[in-house]
Amino acid sequence: MTAEQVLDVLRGAIATVLEVDPAGLQRGTRFVDDLSADSLALVEIVEIVEHDLAQQRPGFRIDDEDLDRLLTLGDAVDYAVARL
Amino acid sequence: MRVALDLLGGDHAPDAVIDGALLAVDRDPAVEVVLVGPPAVAAALLAARGRSLPVVAARESVGMDEDPARGVRAKRDATVRTIHALVRSGSCDAAVSVGPTGAVLAGAVLTLGRISSRPAVAVVVPTAAGPVVLLDAGATSETTPEQLVSHAVLGTAYAQALGTAHPRVGLLNVGTEPGKGDQLRKDAFALLERAPVRFVGNVEGHDVPRGGPADVVVTDGFTGNVLLKAIEGASTQDLPRSALLLGVDGITVVGHGASDGEDVAACVAHAARLVGEGLLERLRATLNVGAA
Repeated sequence: MTAEQVLDVLRGAIATVLEVDPAGLQRGTRFVDDLSADSLALVEIVEIVEHDLAQQRPGFRIDDEDLDRLLTLGDAVDYAVARL
Repeated sequence: MRVALDLLGGDHAPDAVIDGALLAVDRDPAVEVVLVGPPAVAAALLAARGRSLPVVAARESVGMDEDPARGVRAKRDATVRTIHALVRSGSCDAAVSVGPTGAVLAGAVLTLGRISSRPAVAVVVPTAAGPVVLLDAGATSETTPEQLVSHAVLGTAYAQALGTAHPRVGLLNVGTEPGKGDQLRKDAFALLERAPVRFVGNVEGHDVPRGGPADVVVTDGFTGNVLLKAIEGASTQDLPRSALLLGVDGITVVGHGASDGEDVAACVAHAARLVGEGLLERLRATLNVGAA
């Protein structure tokens, strides 16, 4: 799965949870500072992404202790691509 | 009618929860309570009372000192997940917890999903001028103007389901004139004027217990919770001891952390009543949301 494909998965999850236009979401977009995502929204996004990426790699999971380091969409994409 | 009840939620759990469950089933034979918690704990408490109730195992609780969403994510065996899993599977019709509201909200959202952008705690305050739906009474402290509009739409649907044909929506503020309040209120006011609700402008705190200007009052969860507890402290009237978690795709009723057995029983009865009235189906229809 390419980074662009993972970014599209992430855009879809964010658009679903935060009801924003996915076209405006870029690698540099910040979850908290730009999207005002709170803790519950972040966990919802994570669980949707895990579900979607598990189709590609069964058991795919984002470790809880890594969540705080994923500040931008690009951070999350790079993290996921490295584990797929 | 089966209600999944969080055995580990609340300051006086599990004793108050067991007592409330037994009161609820004794008062309404149509209600069956399914206790969700550690089976050994439930068995010991039921045996001490010479009673039996169905029990579904869940061994963890999310504490007041934890981030609710992270706690629910980390604890797959948490009671606030399992009560909602039982609703999602169709084994139960409603979920009840008097545990931390944030954890119940996270359990509901992550298990049942949402029918609005941001669920809210909705309390129906009885007044001489008719019922007033106050939301958010404590689900989310920090709110955006867009979320207040979502609350207005949700509250309107709830008030309609309760029998008010064309509910008037007020924005809780420190004065009735347009332009009052902080930036959140000013921005929300502008959005509400264009929203598909019957917005009547700003209302003040006393308009909630007195009623009159609005049938639905929207605010952030911090302010709403402070107002609700102030009303409870000052009021001599019999206020509801339970609230609906409005905006999740199921019926979830929450109560005070300090609930005693009577309060828990009131929460169970409230949940059963909402199921019997077909509230969720009516909300889905009003909000144009398909069944899950």
